[in-house]
Amino acid sequence: MKVNIIKEQLGTVIREHPKNLILLMLLVLILILLTVAIPDRFLTRVNLESMAFQLPEFGLLALAMMLAMITGGIDLSVVSIANLAGVVAAKILTSEALASSGLSIPLAVVVVFILSAVCGLLNGTLIAVIGVPAILATLGSQGLLLGIAILLTKGHGISGFPDSFMVVGGGSLLGIPIPFLLFLSMAAVVGMILSRTRQGFCMYMVGTNPVVARFSGISNRRVIINTYLMTAILAGLASLIMISRVNSIRPGYGAAYLLQAILVVVLGGVDPKGGFGSVPGVVMGLFILQLTRSGLNILSFSPFFKKFIWGSALLGIMLLNVLVHRYGEFRRAKAVAKSQVLGEEDEQVSQRTR
Amino acid sequence: MKLTRLLHHNESYLFLIIVVFSAVITVVNPVFFSLENLFDLLRSSAGTTILAVGVFIVLLSGGIDVSITAIAICCQYIAITTLISSGLDNLPLVFLISIAIGISLGAINGVLIGVFKLPTLITTLGTSSLFHGLLLEFVGTRSINTGDLPESIKEFGKATILSISRGDGTQYGLSVFVPIVAVTLLVTWGILRYTMVGRGIHSLGGNIEAARRTGYNVTFIQFFIYCYSGILAGIAGILHLSLIRYSNPNYLVGTELNIIAAVVLGGTRITGGRGTMTGTILGVALITILQKNLVLMGLSSYWQEFFVGLIIVLGVSITHLQGKFESRKRPTGDGSVA
Repeated sequence: MKVNIIKEQLGTVIREHPKNLILLMLLVLILILLTVAIPDRFLTRVNLESMAFQLPEFGLLALAMMLAMITGGIDLSVVSIANLAGVVAAKILTSEALASSGLSIPLAVVVVFILSAVCGLLNGTLIAVIGVPAILATLGSQGLLLGIAILLTKGHGISGFPDSFMVVGGGSLLGIPIPFLLFLSMAAVVGMILSRTRQGFCMYMVGTNPVVARFSGISNRRVIINTYLMTAILAGLASLIMISRVNSIRPGYGAAYLLQAILVVVLGGVDPKGGFGSVPGVVMGLFILQLTRSGLNILSFSPFFKKFIWGSALLGIMLLNVLVHRYGEFRRAKAVAKSQVLGEEDEQVSQRTR
Repeated sequence: MKLTRLLHHNESYLFLIIVVFSAVITVVNPVFFSLENLFDLLRSSAGTTILAVGVFIVLLSGGIDVSITAIAICCQYIAITTLISSGLDNLPLVFLISIAIGISLGAINGVLIGVFKLPTLITTLGTSSLFHGLLLEFVGTRSINTGDLPESIKEFGKATILSISRGDGTQYGLSVFVPIVAVTLLVTWGILRYTMVGRGIHSLGGNIEAARRTGYNVTFIQFFIYCYSGILAGIAGILHLSLIRYSNPNYLVGTELNIIAAVVLGGTRITGGRGTMTGTILGVALITILQKNLVLMGLSSYWQEFFVGLIIVLGVSITHLQGKFESRKRPTGDGSVA
């Protein structure tokens, strides 16, 4: 009898947050597996610290991708926005004229945010005002923005920034890397926006059904423009961390992050069709990816094998989601059929057990 | 009467843009306007055109395929390494191996999308990374130089069906790639226009649920589409190999977005259901002319990415603005969702 109650309660938990629970179990499983497989080098201070330095860049890009996907869109231009913003920031940081005035760092930060906001407005306008599908609009702006970045540097890299700027990507506060703190605070902000504000609520509505949202009095246009604005600003912040961590920028750097960002977001339970997804899920997805990446690095797998792993992980998660969904529908259909056949009998049984 | 109808077609505008653009290039550099350059353009765009046809069919059905270039490079590299290690020197065999690999990889996409109904973009993004990762990890990362290629491949790359002599006695000609592309285009056109599957592809792109209720076997049609684009990727892979007479397992991958852009510029709706082969060919022509001739215009190759991006942004904006105005004219417009 007691077992039944436990089973039932577990059932409710799984039914209400099935994806997050699966993710948590997956996270714990991978953590245990890797700790057992590489006992002396995985759960060490050095490795944990290096993971905390690696995660924020593409973590921010993944948060950005999540925002776009919740509204039913996608942003293929996040890496290009980060590239362009990074190149412009690098130009300012390395400029001789500004170096003596001491204004180069604040100026670079301000310019990065203005520039990425402009990129976001471009995407938002294309999608919401002109009506270009998000995938096409951001496909175009991806090439355009990367093209501008390449033109600015003539394809070369830029490196050698002021030491005080290195704090953004390389510093620590109370033993916790600053980029990781930045990432956590942004995740909290995005989470608050999604769950506590009108904009967040409207984003879910637009993603679920744009027509219904419009007829409910939501200005889809403003919601979508705001979404791509936030997306681009997150990419801009990612670019600051990126150039500060590696102390250089080259147009095209981080192109692999695009697939990984989509992978993490889908892994984290965001529906690519829009309307579903939450920050905790995506953050857990990020941790899973980072743990796996770090584990594969320590076991010195080639980058090609990792590429293969990311591809199959993405497909595996999608397949699992579909199968879980189909199983759920199958169970529901069976339950409905059963209750129709044994309508009265069922009622009597349930009364007796009560 | 006919002229006004032409003005309503996206293709006419695209054709006009190509003409104007070619005129501008010719003014800057007269080398552009020659039969030799035209033949060269046809030869070097052969592989891209075939890949674009594959992308076109997928887009028409309402999907998107970003794995086609990864499939093409897998076909090319596996086929050529098999041929070299077996010591055979046989052109049909290379095509056969390449196409077989193309079909099998395409079938994986087909099963995931047709049977499991996964979203096409995410699926092909995943398989692209999967296929390419497998190729580099298990088949090899070394590029194959011209010297190591079988003779038949090199001959095939140089073969012409029509040769014209230049003033100084040397010859240039129309590559044998051109009839291959023509046949591919014709077969695809035939499938789309005269077969049940072809009708189904259009119908699927219009409304997948409606297609299902009309009685189309949606699963089979989707499976067919991705297998067919796999075949095309197999052919394109070998054409690309014979063109540059060099095989690097890192080539082609990364150009998929440009190919999709070309097809979309050709007027194919990314949401499916609408699009023409003529538009696709013109779109590829525009992107190829743009990419190959910036240098002729005296601009460095850094401009390439910028211009292609700009053309896509402008092109899709204009197409969608057009669509918006058209739907506004109609009393029950449906294009103003956003």
